[in-house]
Amino acid sequence: MPKVTFHRDGHTYQGEVAENTNLVVRAGIRQFPYPHLRYGCGMGKCGKCACRVLKGAEQLPEPNWKEKKRLGPGLDRGYRLICQLWLSHDIELGQDDIPIEPLAPAIP
Amino acid sequence: MPDLMNHVEFRTALENAIKGKSANKAPFSIAWASGKLSRDHLARWAENHYHYVGPFADYLAYVYARMPERYTEAKDFLLANMYEEEIGGDRHTDLLIRFAEACGTTREHVIDPDNMTATTRGLQSWCYSVAMREDPIVAVAGLVVGLESQVPSIYRRQTPTLREKYKFSDEEVEFFDLHIVSDEIHGERGYQIVLEHANTVELQQRCLKICEVGAQMRLLYTTALYWDYVAKDVPISEIEGVESKVQQGERQLLQA
Repeated sequence: MPKVTFHRDGHTYQGEVAENTNLVVRAGIRQFPYPHLRYGCGMGKCGKCACRVLKGAEQLPEPNWKEKKRLGPGLDRGYRLICQLWLSHDIELGQDDIPIEPLAPAIP
Repeated sequence: MPDLMNHVEFRTALENAIKGKSANKAPFSIAWASGKLSRDHLARWAENHYHYVGPFADYLAYVYARMPERYTEAKDFLLANMYEEEIGGDRHTDLLIRFAEACGTTREHVIDPDNMTATTRGLQSWCYSVAMREDPIVAVAGLVVGLESQVPSIYRRQTPTLREKYKFSDEEVEFFDLHIVSDEIHGERGYQIVLEHANTVELQQRCLKICEVGAQMRLLYTTALYWDYVAKDVPISEIEGVESKVQQGERQLLQA
């Protein structure tokens, strides 16, 4: 089972999740990393769930089209949209106190 | 008289009730999964689907108003669900209309209620009826557990089909993508509410029954789409010929 280490507001939280887990779905049903993970629309638009991947980035799939459109250069700084990721490996994430500002919506 | 089920038994019974096995063989679903539909057929699906899922927040609003005040968690869930359908990000129906436009129809044509079949109108009416008249916990079972919770697993399988067989772009099929996350949350929280509050034999049996009826309504709706729009172009003999070749999972399209 993937181990998740999550940093936010100077605190560290740890938990195990089932294979192929989406952390925004978990938070949405009131399980770890609830209530620590900040998230919003769940559809890759608002950017509120964005986190820096501190460890385990190499195990993740390539960013999808939503992440590329919303995060742009933020991807190079290690940010990913957590609502777009299904985890199968250990990962360590850090979420900024202030949400990253997403780029313009994909479709006007 | 059946016994009162514990949460594990009741959840399994609900999952069995919503499988709607007969709907797996709906000819429209088989034609979709096997790549036999034209964009014109998919446009007709989108025009009808809009009138089924478009009022989803309206359905939930009726349930919200009748949910007992003491069920605070359940009321908050319904409110959040409505918000996310409409203004949490992109309005979900706007994404459906984007798909419809990619199929060659127009926003005006999609939102015009004259462009749905009588059967779609029947499904929409059933959803309103459940929301307005059933015990609110039974209504959550019917609308959220029975219908909404089915969406993620179906669309997760079908989105690649739309890209690979029908050649839609990522943006054009975003309607199918977004449901994977939001409906997973909604469906699971719907289960939590029903498991907690359907605490009598009678309520549990009514929840199971409404899930079965929901599966029947979905089958009715999906089957009508084939006969109303597709049969003249893709005969049923051709559908039956490919049925055995289509994965069971792929045949579940449009059940939710």
